[in-house]
Amino acid sequence: MIIRQTSLSANVIQFCRFLRQKGYTVGVDEETITLRALQCIDYTHPSLFRQALKATLCRNKIQAEEFDEIFDQYWKQLGKAVDARTKDDTSKKKPVTQLSGLRSLKTWLHGNRTNQTEETATYSIHENISRKDFSSIPEEDVDELMQIIRAVAKRLAAKKSRRYKSSQHMDIPDLRQTLRKNLRRGGELLEIAYRKHQRNRLKILMLCDVSKSMELYTVFLVQFMYAFQQVYRRMETFVFGTSLKRITPVLKEQNFRTTLDLLTEENSDWAGGTRIGECLNNFVQNYSKNLLDPKTIVIIVSDGWDKGNMDLLQKSMEFIRANSKKIIWLNPLAGFAFYRPDVAGMQTAMPYIDVFAPVHNAESLRRLGKWL
Amino acid sequence: MTMIQLNDIKQMLLSQGYIADDSVAMSVFLSLQLNKPLLVEGPAGVGKTEIAKVMANALQTDLIRLQCYEGLDATHALYEWNYQRQLLHIKMTEHSSQSLDEKEKTIFSDGFLMKRPLLQAITHHKKPVLLIDEIDRSDEEFESFLLEVLSDWQITIPETGTIKATHIPQVILTGNRTRELSEALRRRCLYLYIDYPDFEKEWLIVKNKVPGIDVKLAEQITGFMQQLRKIKLEKTPGLAETLDWAAALTTLHIDHLDKNIIEQTLGVVLKDWRDTREVQLSLNELMEKTGIISKLNAI
Repeated sequence: MIIRQTSLSANVIQFCRFLRQKGYTVGVDEETITLRALQCIDYTHPSLFRQALKATLCRNKIQAEEFDEIFDQYWKQLGKAVDARTKDDTSKKKPVTQLSGLRSLKTWLHGNRTNQTEETATYSIHENISRKDFSSIPEEDVDELMQIIRAVAKRLAAKKSRRYKSSQHMDIPDLRQTLRKNLRRGGELLEIAYRKHQRNRLKILMLCDVSKSMELYTVFLVQFMYAFQQVYRRMETFVFGTSLKRITPVLKEQNFRTTLDLLTEENSDWAGGTRIGECLNNFVQNYSKNLLDPKTIVIIVSDGWDKGNMDLLQKSMEFIRANSKKIIWLNPLAGFAFYRPDVAGMQTAMPYIDVFAPVHNAESLRRLGKWL
Repeated sequence: MTMIQLNDIKQMLLSQGYIADDSVAMSVFLSLQLNKPLLVEGPAGVGKTEIAKVMANALQTDLIRLQCYEGLDATHALYEWNYQRQLLHIKMTEHSSQSLDEKEKTIFSDGFLMKRPLLQAITHHKKPVLLIDEIDRSDEEFESFLLEVLSDWQITIPETGTIKATHIPQVILTGNRTRELSEALRRRCLYLYIDYPDFEKEWLIVKNKVPGIDVKLAEQITGFMQQLRKIKLEKTPGLAETLDWAAALTTLHIDHLDKNIIEQTLGVVLKDWRDTREVQLSLNELMEKTGIISKLNAI
């Protein structure tokens, strides 16, 4: 389709590029559609014009919310260029277009990495969250994090086992069941039985450090445990500081607020000292019989700062390693560039760990799904 | 058909009893004009599904609905062979003189094909509205399968061949944001986010949808609901609940709200016992904010 080049269409395309820098996925397709949309409406009407662009260029809720602001920001700079197609208008807006053109060229050259662009007044919520350290996340953003954890946990729950179980829907035909079912019809295979892969039978056991040194991450940790427990049912959660506590039933409470209240109320350890060795030993002594088996993945969230008994820690880790599928140690500090696991607790535990990974931002959380 | 104006759409929606703000009308209009699917997201009970129904009505065409759920697969959305019928047919024609080829042709003909919504939509005798409801509840595999159908508008059945769409349906997808949809699907669609209505719009809808409602009552109900949504609840009530409540109170011939009535009929609005408890505890405060209590005191 050929679209007549007027100053309006050029401006719209310029605007599309501006949006692209803001993280919108706007390609040639979108530009074409936007221009076609403008043909259908009376675009001299400012509010109609804005709505049409909004309807065609936004792709999700966040974008829809930001859109008006970005729109204003851009078109204010262009002034009245939309209505008039005279030449002096184009000269007026030229510096702006050149600048954004240059900028988009730059980002293009650098493989579309947005961090190469100069800082502008608006912001993209997504970008921020996934890079931000959890210790600096305000509470309102936590909803976004929940979504990520949900996705990870959901994928985990959906993993398939090699075993089969019968299925009501059309799936893999189950020959054995089909024959058995149709015997009563004299072997005429009228009804076909199906089977499908069983869902994941993996169990997760989470041991969470809530001592003083982890205090910055507490809000996130509770969110993490809560979200995980809500989505993934085969899960047991413990918290430890100076002593060990099982909090699975508390986390199963529906409302997050009450969970948080209950947790802080129930756990006097919150932001106290750490004695990892004693706590893990306590776990091995009292709970491991029922909870540990070769289908269980053990996740330990701790920074490894410890003043307790190293010998006990080593023995407990050894026992847990021998009786579980995998040990994943998540350390919020490991996200910093110069971090090395030098702490005594970490040193002792290291040989028994299968995966040692950071949990300091949303990006690292997404990766968690891979290891599970 | 091609020259529908934006105002016509508004009129159309209005005549069907759907009170749309400008952004809704614009999205519907552009989706019709550009023949693009429309992805509607928003909280439960704000009239996402209703858009499709109203559109089908207004365009005087049929609505074909595909309800998504976890585990929905291509066979359930496209077609299935009526296996039992095929088998019986073979049995019955066992001794006929038909050749193998002919037999095969008959059992893989239209009569044995059970059309599911997607196939139905593209073979419909006139351009239908296809509603794909709660797409975010389906699996990712289904989503990518849907992508294919939405861009090609043809379905290949191995036994009979490719079926091309007779008319490209008008597609509406709805979602609750329980799962983020893929970028690819989003790019195929126009996007519309509907939020809870503001006071004026909700009031207008209540007055329109519940005939014979007392004006004061409508005002009180709407005010109360607006306040209610500000509390953090498990299940925030949507517009649908407002309408149910208004209808219920009108049937009871009540012309104003008071504490007793609210407590007795709270079940219409709140569907979770924790929410109910919470609201009961803060009922006084809520009513003060809505202005129901102060009015009563004045009397």
